[in-house]
Amino acid sequence: MSLSLSTMAMLRYGYGFRPGEKPAETADDLIAQIAVGTAQSPLSPLGGVAERRRRIIETEAMLRKARRTASKDEVSTLQAKVRRASLRMWVQDSAARFVQTVTSPLGFYERLVFFWSDHFSVSANKNNLLRQLVMVYEAEAIRPNVGGPFAELLRAAIQHPAMLRYLDQSVSYGPTSPVGVKKKKGLNENLARELLELHTLGANSGYTQTDVRNAALVLTGTVISQKRMEMDFSSKFAEPGTHEVLGVAYGDDGRGPGDMLQLIQNLARHPKTADHICRKLVVHFISDDPPSDLVQAMTDTWQRTEGDLTAVYSTMLAHPAAWRNEGTKARQPFDFMIAGLRALDGNGDVERFFLSMTGPSTFSFEGEDGAVRRSRYRAGRMLGSLALKRMGQPLWQPPSPAGFEEGFSAWVTGGQLAERLSWARTAVARFGTDRDPREFLKATLADAARDDTIRVVSQAPDQATGMMLVLASPEFNRR
Amino acid sequence: MADTLISRRSFLASACCAAAAPVFTPVSLMAMPGERRFVTIVLRGAMDGLDLLQPYDDPAFAKLRPKLALTPDKGLFDLDGRFGLHPAAADLMPLWKARDIAFVHSVSTPYRDQRSHFDGQDILESGGGHVREQQSGWLNRTLAAIPRTASRRAIDINTSTELILSGSEAVDVWSADSNFGSMREEADFLARLYQNDSDFAAALAEATRADGKASRGMVDAEKRTTAADVARVAAQMLKADYRVASFSITGWDTHVGQIQGFARPAKELASAIIALKSGLGPEIWNQTIVLAMTEFGRTVRQNGSGGTDHGTGGVALVAGGDIRGGRVLGRWSGLSDDKLLDQRDLMPTGDIRELAAAMISRQFDITPDKLTNTVFPGLSFDRSSDYLRLL
Repeated sequence: MSLSLSTMAMLRYGYGFRPGEKPAETADDLIAQIAVGTAQSPLSPLGGVAERRRRIIETEAMLRKARRTASKDEVSTLQAKVRRASLRMWVQDSAARFVQTVTSPLGFYERLVFFWSDHFSVSANKNNLLRQLVMVYEAEAIRPNVGGPFAELLRAAIQHPAMLRYLDQSVSYGPTSPVGVKKKKGLNENLARELLELHTLGANSGYTQTDVRNAALVLTGTVISQKRMEMDFSSKFAEPGTHEVLGVAYGDDGRGPGDMLQLIQNLARHPKTADHICRKLVVHFISDDPPSDLVQAMTDTWQRTEGDLTAVYSTMLAHPAAWRNEGTKARQPFDFMIAGLRALDGNGDVERFFLSMTGPSTFSFEGEDGAVRRSRYRAGRMLGSLALKRMGQPLWQPPSPAGFEEGFSAWVTGGQLAERLSWARTAVARFGTDRDPREFLKATLADAARDDTIRVVSQAPDQATGMMLVLASPEFNRR
Repeated sequence: MADTLISRRSFLASACCAAAAPVFTPVSLMAMPGERRFVTIVLRGAMDGLDLLQPYDDPAFAKLRPKLALTPDKGLFDLDGRFGLHPAAADLMPLWKARDIAFVHSVSTPYRDQRSHFDGQDILESGGGHVREQQSGWLNRTLAAIPRTASRRAIDINTSTELILSGSEAVDVWSADSNFGSMREEADFLARLYQNDSDFAAALAEATRADGKASRGMVDAEKRTTAADVARVAAQMLKADYRVASFSITGWDTHVGQIQGFARPAKELASAIIALKSGLGPEIWNQTIVLAMTEFGRTVRQNGSGGTDHGTGGVALVAGGDIRGGRVLGRWSGLSDDKLLDQRDLMPTGDIRELAAAMISRQFDITPDKLTNTVFPGLSFDRSSDYLRLL
């Protein structure tokens, strides 16, 4: 027995149903979301990317100046202040990120954003700068480019200052470059290695340590302009000479920014990259054990269209395997949480609740209503970013450049289940007290609801338990 | 008074913030002038009235419930020669002797046939004649019907109001961090939910294993807030400027192994009433009425799993320092097949709404007219109501 196309589209390719939102019905509906999504500005960073950039550039300049002119104590006081401000900004941006995903009717597009943000992982935990920059990175590098071509997405991600800082490119010096010689500093291979291993070709795909090192040499000269907070090329950091990666020589005409672009183009075009990424897409959306004919169909499209991602997604969704064997993947914590919030957002309560954490008085607990605001704030943290952290998928903080775990067994465990039950109880108490659990089950899982769930939910001893059981059901936690 | 307000707020804030754990059971409270207090305890899950208040004198009883039926020589506390109190609720016996508690048997809401917890609780709390007829709770409409002038303020600390107190009147909510009583029951439901999904069944087994680090969410149940804790908080609130409070006790849905399953919530209920009495002190206890009620009763016969299933007629409790307690009210229709509803349930002979109407009419001087028009629309109630004998 197969589920309806619409249910599959919403559960497997989106963040589930939301009352009042017209569900996607077909593969074409899903594909059509991409163009709409890429043209929109996201809610995070709050205030928009231009304002956030201005603020970051100012802060960084202030810190640099302080390091030159102020005492050590003054610098550390200033740093603590910046840290505090960046943490607060992060909390508010997280709330905005929840609202963005909960309210977006473009579920497939949002899922793609999550997939690619994870594929090109950067973490807010690296430092204060990254904590303010991860959402800018997502807005600038990922969101506009998930429709492909892949080479463009790869370029935008790799050249973004967030990535350059996260993978230490900003401290990689050509060993015989003018600055390298002067400062007696050398190569940092971090970005080059992840570029080959994680972002493009994939692990064990035939490249050698020499390729990694040479790719790192090609990447030298890539620096961050502090004035613009953008990638820049400085030949003073660039290792002179030609460097060969996978049989292609870079730097023949003298080192320049074109070398990196050329390397990105060639890696994007490489058949191993197509195979690695198509397989990863299928594993993420469809099955931990990807059908090889599906992966093959997608890599064929990749080759034919030179990595047009929208065409690759279309091929995936046109394949019968894309609509079979529902429920073999586990919803990851972010997916679980967003789907729960969407299901519970019957009258905009969820949206208003998280939006209330994005205003100017979010952290003001003084005065008449201070206690109420503090309690709301704590509840918001508890239902949002802290819950994700406890569930093992903290927002914008992947555990490594490889991103979060993907497999079913990583997410269906006792600890995971206990956290999800806790979250479900809390979320139901706040947002779901006025819903009939039987109706809620119907609206949330449609024809995916199993007989066991229908029966057990209808027999629940009280409304809250009934609601919780819907969110605890296997079919709500699978996709 | 500003001082009281602030101190209450800070009390609420600290109470709430200790409640970092994820399960909430709210106590809903309402402040107003006047001295008389009213507390409702909603027994969610269908409390088995025939187990709490056992008609041991009826010869059919032991035959219908060979495993569950007790007699005074087997631990049952005789009340009036006809009915006996379940030993788990023994804490209530001093109240019975002091005539501070009364039981009303064979009561129900107008809800019939379907026996769904949600719908049953909807009617119990909304006070309507049928499911979803009323959008607000009858206790909230009671507040609206009380003549008074003082302005009120609401505090919403953590979660929303339960249906019984929801509506246009402002209500404050205090949240405890536990759904006392329901954890074990919840685990049973989860086990059934996962019975045909081995991956989730295995995860649940892992989560409930007490030794694993993974069991956090479940172990929280061990340190749970008890009903008595919640009752003590309610008592403190009622001693200050609140006059109406409501909270719930869950865990009554005893389909399986009722001998073990019933004792715990019954003990919770008794200790909650005792905690209210001692928390309020003698003077305020004399001005308080507590009404404990459930959405429906359970089958007269025990089932094949040592439990009982959803029924109709049930039992309500009324307690307070100034009631004429120490008696069992209600018209008993008997346990023979022809006297049962659908040959399975205790025949309801009284309406819980009428009982509630009698209590609030006295506590808050609400006229029968207002009671039958706005609080319980369509209810038949006047000054001849038998339940007024309790007052």
